Amino acid sequence: MLLKPKIIWIDGVGCNGCSHSFFNLTYIDTLLNKIELLYHPLLDTDEFKIQKSDILIIEGALKDNFQKFNKNLIEIVEDLFSLTTKIIALGSCASFGGIFGEGILFNKENLGRFYNYKDKIINLPGCPIHPEWLGYVLEMIITKKPIVLDEENRPKEIYSFVSHSGCVRNEYFDWKVDSEDFGTKEGCLFYNQGCQGPFTHSSCNKILWNEVSSKPRAGLPCFGCTERNFPKINLFQTDTMMGIPTKIPLGVNKRAYLTLAGIAKSLKNERLEKRLFEYEKTNNKN
Amino acid sequence: MKKLITKIEGEAILNITGDKIVEMVEIEFYQFRGIEEYLKNKNFMDSLVINPRICGICGHSHLIATTKAIENAFNTKITKKAKLFRQLTLNFEIIENHIKWFYITLFPTQIKDKKFLFKAIQLSQNLSKAIALITGQYPHTSYAIPGGITSDITYLELSKVKNIIDEVLQTQTLFEDLKLFFENLPKEIGKSNNRFLKASEVELSQIYEKKNQKHQFVTYDNLFFEVGPLARQKENIKEIYNKYEDSIYSRIYARLFETIELLKQNLKICDEIDLSEKSYIKPNIISNKGHSIIEAPRGILIHEVDILNEKIQNYNIIVPTQFNLSSDKNMLSAAQKAIIGEKIEYIDTIFKCFDICAVCVGH
Repeated sequence: MLLKPKIIWIDGVGCNGCSHSFFNLTYIDTLLNKIELLYHPLLDTDEFKIQKSDILIIEGALKDNFQKFNKNLIEIVEDLFSLTTKIIALGSCASFGGIFGEGILFNKENLGRFYNYKDKIINLPGCPIHPEWLGYVLEMIITKKPIVLDEENRPKEIYSFVSHSGCVRNEYFDWKVDSEDFGTKEGCLFYNQGCQGPFTHSSCNKILWNEVSSKPRAGLPCFGCTERNFPKINLFQTDTMMGIPTKIPLGVNKRAYLTLAGIAKSLKNERLEKRLFEYEKTNNKN
Repeated sequence: MKKLITKIEGEAILNITGDKIVEMVEIEFYQFRGIEEYLKNKNFMDSLVINPRICGICGHSHLIATTKAIENAFNTKITKKAKLFRQLTLNFEIIENHIKWFYITLFPTQIKDKKFLFKAIQLSQNLSKAIALITGQYPHTSYAIPGGITSDITYLELSKVKNIIDEVLQTQTLFEDLKLFFENLPKEIGKSNNRFLKASEVELSQIYEKKNQKHQFVTYDNLFFEVGPLARQKENIKEIYNKYEDSIYSRIYARLFETIELLKQNLKICDEIDLSEKSYIKPNIISNKGHSIIEAPRGILIHEVDILNEKIQNYNIIVPTQFNLSSDKNMLSAAQKAIIGEKIEYIDTIFKCFDICAVCVGH
């Protein structure tokens, strides 16, 4: 019988949200049976020790003088790095620093302190990580299949899409019908509510959250949580210059985009200008 | 003796004196992140994205506390529909939290069997899905904003949510597993101060918090209190409470009892919601201070905010674990009192019966 890959999963500076998100993976039981989990921040395992592993998962950011297991986090991480084959920087904190500290391979504006381990590292940004993204990466490593990475070491199969792909508000985006305010299923959130979907690398609307939904489906803008600059300031506001969004859909020339947007808006899609439907007041007494 | 405690959404150290029986224990938390500092000078709306990220298991409670604190500052009124949805999703987080805590955190201190982990995961995945149907995703949604909620739910989602509640109620085996858990564990251990506090009873001015300490120190009216499910449910589980007082058994029983009660309550809420009401009404933004005191899975959660020209001047957070796991040499907190006088071998289980959230403490 083949030996199961040994995995060490530790948490740095973070919230354990990636662990809890991973618990939502529908096939987590079969996946856990294919691996040997040497340590995990929440699941029952043997006590932590510095030892060899096939895959090292770091959840959370790095930070100087942050204590972990009564030692220094950075030193623990460094010791584990030299004893492993693959490193998964799990979530935006480990990938880019996120809210709490430094990333492993990259920081928001410069290279991370472990950039020399680039060849071993797979970045899986997202706050939290989408369970299926991690499930896919682990399956690929376990079955020794190559993972194609982009220039920020993110798997292309996940991050070559934008969060906008598959958004149920796409019609509103196409015809430039903006959501005037929060709380309606109608309207696009790109112009007034700060949605970063058209330029955020992720597949949130392609592979749904908890198998059923995504932020824009619940009336929330994409906060760009898979990107290096997450979290930007003024997350519920669209950054504009002279009334025009400063960031436009990826791959399009700004002038071309604005021309197309102007035409779409002038042609008016009447169906989308009004509410799709509204409920009549109900009597809930019975 | 120093004992490192892990797998409590972070870590803590117990400094224990005593050989076989604990004579004294002090509790240290040492991982801090500085969320309150981070929030300074940010737009108040940004706190709705940042604060859920305080915690991976009870982040939704932080969202609700954040939005309520801001609404308190703005004096915002929201629709009944928005109120009910918020209660529904907060309840779901409490339910999911209790189930995960019971099977993933507490169970392995007595019984090592992966079967219970998968039981927790099966139930909690369903509960996460119910939350996501309303909020877009779980964990880390920001759907509750000052003025209401962002989502415009239809009966398609709502009927699915109801089906999930039915399924969880039918498939859970919490009380059978509780029996199993206590097969080789005395029910009377872990008795504490027998002094409880609920959110509805709290006057903010009576709260005292020592900041930036390794030893947490949060008192109410100059005393340490126990907060959480036993504080909330002791009147409803009188038979158990009268027999076992504030022991480990009552504490665990209260959590499981509450899990079932909230599932039933959520079914009722689903039927009470009137979808024709507005989800959101734009609030009137003013410069002011506000606060919220809510019941999170582990007990009283307090958020205080000071907003000037839409920007956060100051933010303060007090989490339930700071109440229960305060630590002092002279006066004993709920967790200290529960551990002292007990056998060393029971420490891990007694400590974890409080359902500790170390990442919340290290906000």
